[in-house]
Amino acid sequence: MQLSLHRLVPIPLKNKIDLKGSAIWKEEITFKENEHVFVRAPSGTGKTTLVHILYNMRTDYEGTVQWGTETLTGIDSDTLSQLRTKKLSIIFQDMRLFPELSTWENLDIKRRLTHTVTLEEVDSWLERLGIRDKKDALARTLSYGEQQRVAIIRALLQPFEWLLMDEPFSHLDHANIDKARKLIIEVVEKHKAGMILADLDENNYFPYTQTLVL
Amino acid sequence: MEKKQKLILRKLLLGDRTKSKARLWAALIALCIGTTLLLLSVMIWWNFRELLQGKGSSDSLGSTFLSISKKITDAKMGRPELTIFSPEEINAFAKTPQVQDVGVLTSNHFPLYASLGGSLGFATEMFVEGVPDRFIDKLPDDWHWQPGDRMLPVILSSEFLNLYNYGFAVSRGLPQLSQTSIKSIAINFKVGNGSRTDNYSAYVVGFSDRISSVLVPQSFIDYGNKTYGNGITIASSRLVVKVKDPSDKAFVQYLQDHDYTTNSEQLRFSKIRAIVEVVSAATGILALLLMGIGALVFILFIELTIARAQAALTLLKEIGYSPSFLGKFMISRFSPLVFLTVLVSAIIAITVQTVAAMKVKDLFLNLPYIPGWQVWLALLISTAILFSLISRAITRAVR
Repeated sequence: MQLSLHRLVPIPLKNKIDLKGSAIWKEEITFKENEHVFVRAPSGTGKTTLVHILYNMRTDYEGTVQWGTETLTGIDSDTLSQLRTKKLSIIFQDMRLFPELSTWENLDIKRRLTHTVTLEEVDSWLERLGIRDKKDALARTLSYGEQQRVAIIRALLQPFEWLLMDEPFSHLDHANIDKARKLIIEVVEKHKAGMILADLDENNYFPYTQTLVL
Repeated sequence: MEKKQKLILRKLLLGDRTKSKARLWAALIALCIGTTLLLLSVMIWWNFRELLQGKGSSDSLGSTFLSISKKITDAKMGRPELTIFSPEEINAFAKTPQVQDVGVLTSNHFPLYASLGGSLGFATEMFVEGVPDRFIDKLPDDWHWQPGDRMLPVILSSEFLNLYNYGFAVSRGLPQLSQTSIKSIAINFKVGNGSRTDNYSAYVVGFSDRISSVLVPQSFIDYGNKTYGNGITIASSRLVVKVKDPSDKAFVQYLQDHDYTTNSEQLRFSKIRAIVEVVSAATGILALLLMGIGALVFILFIELTIARAQAALTLLKEIGYSPSFLGKFMISRFSPLVFLTVLVSAIIAITVQTVAAMKVKDLFLNLPYIPGWQVWLALLISTAILFSLISRAITRAVR
């Protein structure tokens, strides 16, 4: 499934973009299957807005977003859920865990949607990212760094053709970034999926096929 | 849906349901009372109808069989041809919607002389009548006669016995008679005159509350009129009709329009019926009102629960749960409560019906122990409406 953006522009940013210019906003862009795209987005250029638009969490934009044959404008809720469970996964910048659930429950509620990953695998991933001892801790008691690692694992618990990442490592130190990065690469390759990572600064977390400045 | 998944969803979406338990109970109790009242209102209407339209012969208020004759006015006096029913009139009457069956009372057209020996000794000329067996309220076992039989069964109107016991016997100092003692007395019927005279032993085999007459089997009347009569068939002036619902206004109107009379006492049910209809309707309106309020509070409760869980709901949708899946989950959580209230109402309705049936049994009236299909239909429709309101509210709130 390829991603096509056709003259996309978020309405709140419209005037600003007119002045500044962008490699994505208002452009015709197509990302082919399993491309690794890095979107460098300085503060205030609409990085999170872009990710949210791609994941259909915002609809206040002009232009169109097309995932494969599916256009997001006016997509019905069941098709959207199918897209989100089978083809498109996301790591939110603000993690978005259920604060009242434990680490394990946060992962299990996602895992049980598709059963793509076994309980043992989840367990080993927790171990790899160093948060296995937090399994039964409520999400609201976790540090940002821990929450971010739970969010990363959660995003990998479903089949996907594209993985969207919005500053996925913002709360992690180098050692933990490296562990998370390796896990992500491994799963992305397993699914032969593409990825779009949006971040503030240059990085070489992944072998990008293209870099765009928002 | 898996159990673990259900548990987590319950925690997320219904976690603090306990906080407003009182409201939930209030809603459920209102719903339950509303549903019960609705069932009761249908049951009041249905039971009254059952009493009026009993299918057997002794199961109703006794009002389904009416004896009909033409009103004898001053102008009609001395002109018996004006008080008889022509075949056309009988046919027309039988075709009116309320009338289920019409029977003709045939009287004897031959001389009949009854005499009794012993201490009660009396002798009198009298009349007997025949009516098709299906119009007799309690058919005695030995209710048959064929030419050649010397024994003749007789059914006496219980009113005649009352007239004798409380009127004649008291005034003349004669012994009062019980129904069983009457049954043991043989009455001699001397039938016919001149060349053809026969004697029969008549026995009272039963009493009728329905037909004010002295009844003998139809076969005896037919035989007698042919054998001892003058051969002229005379039309009847009295009909017995089986009526679906004697309190029906159209039926009462028909009788008035054609100048027919009946035991007006038996039409008193049209008044009772009006009252029952008002009671039933009032209960029904109250029931609908209560059910409406109950449903509203229940739906508001559901919406409140969903609104409280809005953050979790949004996030669930973001990680891939579809609104229809979540809607089904919510419906599966709330519908058992609805079905529980419906079940409680149904149990109350059955209990009330059983108790009512036992109570009226003492009055020699038969009512079914289980409410009829109309009651269940009302329950089914109200539950379906309630359920669709609730599932629509949930679907809307989850979307």
